[in-house]
Amino acid sequence: MPPLMGIEFLCRVADVLTGYLGGLNEDLIKDNFIIVYELLDEMMDNGFPLTTVPNILREMIAPPNIVSKVLSVVTGKSSNVSNILPDATASPVPWRKSDLKSSSNEVYVDLIEELDAILSREGVLVKCEVYGEVHVNSHLPGLPDLTLSFANPSILNDVRFHPCVRFRPWEGEQILSFVPPDGEFKLASYRVKKLKNIPIYVKPQLSSSSGHCRVSVLVGIRNDPGKVIENITVQFQLPSCVESVDVSSNHGTVNVLADKTCFWSIGRIPKDKSPNLSGNLILEPGLDRLHVFPVFRVGFKIVGVALSGLQINKLEIKNLPARLYKGFRATTKAGEYEVRS
Amino acid sequence: MAPPVPNLPKTSSPSQPSGKSEVADLKLQLRQLAGSIAPGSDDSRREIFKKVISFMTVGIDVSAAFSEMVMCSATSDVVLKKMCYLYVCNYARSNPDLALLTINFLQKDCRDDDPMIRGLALRSLCSLRVANLVEYLVSPLTTGLKDSSPYVRMVAAIGVLKLYHISPSTCLDSDFLAMLKALMLNDPDAQVVANCLSSLQEIWSLEAGNLEAVSREREALLSKQVVYYLLNRIKEFNEWAQCLILELASKYIPSDSNEIFDIMNLLEDRLQHANSAVVLATIKVFLYLTMSMTDVHQQVYERIKAPLLTLVSSGSPEQSYAVLSHLHLLVMRAPILFSSDYKHFYCQYSEPVYVQKLKLEMLTAIANESNTYEIVTELCEYVANVDISISRESIRAVGKIALQQYDVNAIVDRLLQFLEMEKDYVTAETLVLVKDLLRKYPQWSHDCIAVVGNISSKNVQEPKGKAALIWMLGEYSNDMLDAPYILESLLENWNEEQAPEVRLHLLTAAMKCFFKRPPEAQKALGVALAAGLADSHQDVHDRALFYYRLLQHDVSVAERVVNPPKQAVSVFTDAQSSEIKDHVFDEFNTLSVLYQKPAYMFTDKEHRGPFELAEELGSLSLGTGSVEHVIPAQSYEASDNDLLLGTSEKEESRGLGNNDSAYSAPGYDTSLISLEDKQVQPESNFLSLAVPTMPSHTSSVLDDLLGLGTPIIPPPPTLKLNPKAVLDPSNFQRKWGQLTTSLTEEFSINPQGAVALKVPQALHRHMQGHSIQCIASGGQPPSLKFFFFAQKEGETSPFFLVECLINTSSAKAQINIKAEDPTLSEPFSTLFRSALLALSPS
Repeated sequence: MPPLMGIEFLCRVADVLTGYLGGLNEDLIKDNFIIVYELLDEMMDNGFPLTTVPNILREMIAPPNIVSKVLSVVTGKSSNVSNILPDATASPVPWRKSDLKSSSNEVYVDLIEELDAILSREGVLVKCEVYGEVHVNSHLPGLPDLTLSFANPSILNDVRFHPCVRFRPWEGEQILSFVPPDGEFKLASYRVKKLKNIPIYVKPQLSSSSGHCRVSVLVGIRNDPGKVIENITVQFQLPSCVESVDVSSNHGTVNVLADKTCFWSIGRIPKDKSPNLSGNLILEPGLDRLHVFPVFRVGFKIVGVALSGLQINKLEIKNLPARLYKGFRATTKAGEYEVRS
Repeated sequence: MAPPVPNLPKTSSPSQPSGKSEVADLKLQLRQLAGSIAPGSDDSRREIFKKVISFMTVGIDVSAAFSEMVMCSATSDVVLKKMCYLYVCNYARSNPDLALLTINFLQKDCRDDDPMIRGLALRSLCSLRVANLVEYLVSPLTTGLKDSSPYVRMVAAIGVLKLYHISPSTCLDSDFLAMLKALMLNDPDAQVVANCLSSLQEIWSLEAGNLEAVSREREALLSKQVVYYLLNRIKEFNEWAQCLILELASKYIPSDSNEIFDIMNLLEDRLQHANSAVVLATIKVFLYLTMSMTDVHQQVYERIKAPLLTLVSSGSPEQSYAVLSHLHLLVMRAPILFSSDYKHFYCQYSEPVYVQKLKLEMLTAIANESNTYEIVTELCEYVANVDISISRESIRAVGKIALQQYDVNAIVDRLLQFLEMEKDYVTAETLVLVKDLLRKYPQWSHDCIAVVGNISSKNVQEPKGKAALIWMLGEYSNDMLDAPYILESLLENWNEEQAPEVRLHLLTAAMKCFFKRPPEAQKALGVALAAGLADSHQDVHDRALFYYRLLQHDVSVAERVVNPPKQAVSVFTDAQSSEIKDHVFDEFNTLSVLYQKPAYMFTDKEHRGPFELAEELGSLSLGTGSVEHVIPAQSYEASDNDLLLGTSEKEESRGLGNNDSAYSAPGYDTSLISLEDKQVQPESNFLSLAVPTMPSHTSSVLDDLLGLGTPIIPPPPTLKLNPKAVLDPSNFQRKWGQLTTSLTEEFSINPQGAVALKVPQALHRHMQGHSIQCIASGGQPPSLKFFFFAQKEGETSPFFLVECLINTSSAKAQINIKAEDPTLSEPFSTLFRSALLALSPS
């Protein structure tokens, strides 16, 4: 069996269960084991994966939410299984119920990007890449036909699509044309490489002599993304040869955990000063200098900007009544953002 | 999916319900509810069912409530039904008698109005897995395959496969395969088609060795018509079924290049599918299709690079690893094509070690003139990594690059810098590398030795590093001023030196040093030889003795032996042969790629079964001689008796019957009438295969032996074998796995007979004459391999399984016997020997 089929299927099972149970842990599974059995039954037979599309499954087996509980009490009908089989497998858009009624006419598009970067100790960008996902949350009636276009699709390096995306329009005009499933889903994921601008810098300095090591870490804005950078954190693992640590910062809080992870939570960068962490490491007796250098891992979040520069041009919707609400959002998070020392 | 069958002893710990009383209680409650149709009774039933199943899940045996559960299952509530099915399927296997109770209600549910219930009931019916209930499966499955609801047809298609696993003969005798095939090619529902395809593939691949017609069917699956039909519809299938079809397409052999481009154009967009399994399966199709077109094959590499790299950066570490392993395989095959993508293989601190290791290997492979500097710089960063194993791997990677490249100047400098880091493991790894580098590039000795000479031998603790250092001390003692003295100090600690490897190197180094700087090293050599001679380790002792005697014999000869002029090593051998790598590539998109070895190296021989001997033997012709006769024969036995034919006719009609069933199994009705039709115009060679075996069936084993008069005739065996023993391949495989070898023998066989064994089939017929059936065979002369089985006379007598290796050129045979009754293995072996010895060149 192809290994990726196994891995991908397990991930999908986990996703579906999470969707149904609102989480995935031992207790939840124990509490809802009947539902879990039912779901697994529909998802796989004799080792062959069957359907894993949440929408179809939801038509066969109702999720155990409060609404259905209330409904069952009121109507006296206590089955969470619909008696009609979904006809979706035969429909041309299997991911969507054919006669969907929705009270709210709204669709949201989210760009979520993760910035992976490696910086050398001199501050040189060794590698920088953005992995992004386009999430769509749609609550639309009928069979809406959506077209999403980007202002600068050429920067995308490689794109992967949800099965609902038609391939030809993308190939021809680089637009995403699709009939969305109901609810939230990942429309596409992409990669953008060769980025030059990274939002913040971290400058670590370690100098050791005769069993001591002085640490100083400076953090500041390198290329202003135009929006506030939030939730900035810096963490690093102290080498095992460090005996004791004494560090403090002029901004934010510093914690040294039991496993010698140093966690510095900065938050936002203040206007008047640049955050600085400094302190002293005492090395193991007999060791003069530090030979293993920690890697500083940086976390942050910027709301309102996609750092890759990808911009949504417009979203057109066919087959729909005029009044509806469209929303766009972009977020960039730090993925694997590492600074070497 | 089913919870573990609760064979556990009933627990009596205070935290767990002790089971017995609880179960009795539940039984009582169920009984009270059984007939109730009062409103709300479904709810209370559901509560109790829930309890029963939760007990079952934690391993308490609730099978006692079986009949009550069945009684309560007459309900219209789907959830109740589902729970009941789950319960029934779990206990049916361990309580076949109870399972009979459920047949009735499951069959009834199979005729329910609601397709969902029909489907679920059919599915549970097929999942009972009780061998003596298969007769009840046939008719619901037949109706299920013709059901109006795709849901039921889909379940039925898999049901056929389940039936096959319980009882292959029942499945093959009914014309399920033909129905599946028809559904696969005509059903409007994609999932039904997919399930038919997967069932057929599995059944056919298991049966392919037995029936020629089946292997032909299997090939027909790869015909242009079928493959195109499925590929054209591919977008209708769900992602998992797409993988299945793509896998099939990867085996398709297109007739010309236009076809190749058509398929690739059609599948191009699959490369951008969100499901990584689909992407990988598509890549496999592309790679295999273009195998013969070098240019296009390269373009394919370029095309698939981006999707693969995206897959690596998205998803879980497990997924990245699986994708990276495939990428690794491709990188190893065509490093040049990836040389500009080296940055993708840079390791991130937070990645798991297994991912980093793969990346290091890839970086090593793609290093060339244009990117070496960047890659080596990056690798040097990893040397300071917190994880020691990664640090070591990085040093090795730098070394490997150095050994690949011509321009090693910069790299040597970096390696030497590692030595200054004063980390034990870094120093040790680096020393090993410097040693290898010197063996390849002796011209660098001057620079290296200068640095190595500064290393205090006390800082090197690891045996490998130490051995490398000592080797350099011996080899370059002319360049290192104090080499003899360092050796001397090392020799002082001889007794504390744990690793024999280091002691061996010390001996050799002392010798080399002696020949280069005799006056200074004489003392060291004396100490070394004395210590070596007294050493308790055999190798060390022997080497010391050897040197000692060599020196005694002639010093100049000794010098030529120990210190000859050396040529630089040009290429270090690769650990894995390219043949194996190609083999792994042939198994793209399977676990083989993750393990980096072909399937036959990690699957158990027992699990591979006799049919995969091909892997070992190179080529395999499956037991065409006997197996066909064995399985269908069963069903014809009865009709033979009815016809009251003479023995010879009986044999003949049997041969034809098999022939007939083999051809008609997929399409036509197998009745005796068609059998007789065929008799008139025999069209296959099976007849000629079957006929010669006839006389031996009727004559006794003894007659046969005497008639042939082989040189050595063992005493007449007392054991009688069942001439019509039947054992299907899967049972053979199972038995072979279960039993242990009770007897192994080696003996010579009649040389003329051996020479006549040009093809394995010759022996099949011969042994069949002795009531020993061949189930699989393979190999090319002179070495042939066979698997035989035989049964003691009687319906339920024990079986004998034999693995037999014959070398036709040396006329030797080796047999391994596994017997269900080990006491009989001795007489059986005599019988087997005599049968084999009777092999004549005729």
